Amino acid sequence: MAGIHKVTTGLTGLAVARHPHQTLKVLYGKILSQLKKMPTEAAYRRNTELIVNERLAAVTAEPDVVKLEQRINCGQIEEVIIQAERELSLSRRMLQWKPWEPLVGQAPPNQWKWPLA
Amino acid sequence: MMASRLWRLVRPVACNLSRTSALNNCAAPALSHGLRFQTTEAGSSKPTVASPSPLVKQQLTDFGAYVAECLPKYVQKVEVSHHGDLEVMIHPDGAIPVLSFLKDHTNAQFVNIVDIAGVDKPTLENRFEIVYMLMSLQFNARIRVKTYTDELTPIDSVCSVFQGANWYEREIWDMYGVFFANHPDLRRILTDYGFEGHPFRKDFPLSGYVEVRYDDEVKRVVVEPIELSQEFRKFEANTPWETFPNFRQVEGGETEAAAKPEEKQ
Amino acid sequence: MATRSVQQGLKQVKPMLSVDRTEARRRVLNLYKAWYRQVPYVVKDFHIPVTVEQGRAKVREMFLKNKHVSDVRAIDMLVIKGQMDLVETANIWKQRNHIMMFFQDTVNPKPADFLSKFYEGQD
Repeated sequence: MAGIHKVTTGLTGLAVARHPHQTLKVLYGKILSQLKKMPTEAAYRRNTELIVNERLAAVTAEPDVVKLEQRINCGQIEEVIIQAERELSLSRRMLQWKPWEPLVGQAPPNQWKWPLA
Repeated sequence: MMASRLWRLVRPVACNLSRTSALNNCAAPALSHGLRFQTTEAGSSKPTVASPSPLVKQQLTDFGAYVAECLPKYVQKVEVSHHGDLEVMIHPDGAIPVLSFLKDHTNAQFVNIVDIAGVDKPTLENRFEIVYMLMSLQFNARIRVKTYTDELTPIDSVCSVFQGANWYEREIWDMYGVFFANHPDLRRILTDYGFEGHPFRKDFPLSGYVEVRYDDEVKRVVVEPIELSQEFRKFEANTPWETFPNFRQVEGGETEAAAKPEEKQ
Repeated sequence: MATRSVQQGLKQVKPMLSVDRTEARRRVLNLYKAWYRQVPYVVKDFHIPVTVEQGRAKVREMFLKNKHVSDVRAIDMLVIKGQMDLVETANIWKQRNHIMMFFQDTVNPKPADFLSKFYEGQD
């Protein structure tokens, strides 16, 4: 960690993260362990693992926060943490919903047809 | 009278002519959607309609395919409208999973709910369509999620995902009578207490069923069944005006009256 | 043939609140009891020119108006709306005129026989 710390994120209610690398590594580890419970062919698991592994690699490779933000290119590091938290809670709920199963029911005919006549 | 009758005959033809010429200007039928709003000629320019760029359209199509791939259990259909709006049609059971995915997934981040709308299509088996409109500030994108229900099938409330959905769902409950299960505070929001019916349904008459007035005898506002008195009107499809029979000439009689002076000449 | 028609008639639907008729019936009776107990307070709070007996008779009339409804989900929908109505009344979100809307005391009955129609001036 460099000695220069960010004073503010400039976003209301979003405090500067003290140890972003550590936080992100823990979160990504948790997400990956959740994803391992899903079937391997699930598209959600594949796509999310892709994102998380890419970001995890960036976090482990890049100690400087500013350069890490540029490399991830998805907002400030605090926002990236929030995104990871959301993804974690989503992956937990996804395990209950099991959205990789086949379609629950087709729409009745003409439901999505427009104009009707 | 005769001139206007003639013009009525001519006008549809003229409209058709102009329409066909506009179609002929398009290069290929497959591209007509994209070309329709292109400003190539000075005469056919439509500066008020922004045309979506093909790149943006391709991105939307790709993202729609991505959503459908991730949630095959709920997504029935994905389409990009010609205005460049991505629409995801889902099964009603999937309202919460799909909206949660769109909100919380790193590649979507539609954290902002813009509106929830209802549509009434009375001829369909599931007559009500619920449209969720979401926005992603991170990726500067919007998406519409559509699902369907009928009068008696409850649909899951998405208040647990989006807090802002609370009032929108109350509006739809009030206007269409769609029941949202597990809503924290489902009650009327737009109509008056004691109002019966759901005014945005297509079978709800424009005038309503009751009229409200102040009654001086009982010193309060009273509600009474509406009575609309008007002259007997004859509705015909071919003319939207002059439907009062006393002032209207019948189709056959008028041609006779018009033909007679010509014979004299 | 008969079994098939029965299967077509029985569509699997998502329940609104109740899963069967006994449960729906219990909900209706509970709502009726709640309204019945609320009537004295309504009469007192809103200063309406109605006695408690008349109010209870009106509640009974409003419930009997829907006695032909047999679909469990339709009953549930009516119960939900009645429940919301009760909440609006009990919390005094309604005003006097909203309560008196139930009684329709200013509406004259429509003339039925020839002579009263003649007096009304209708054709």
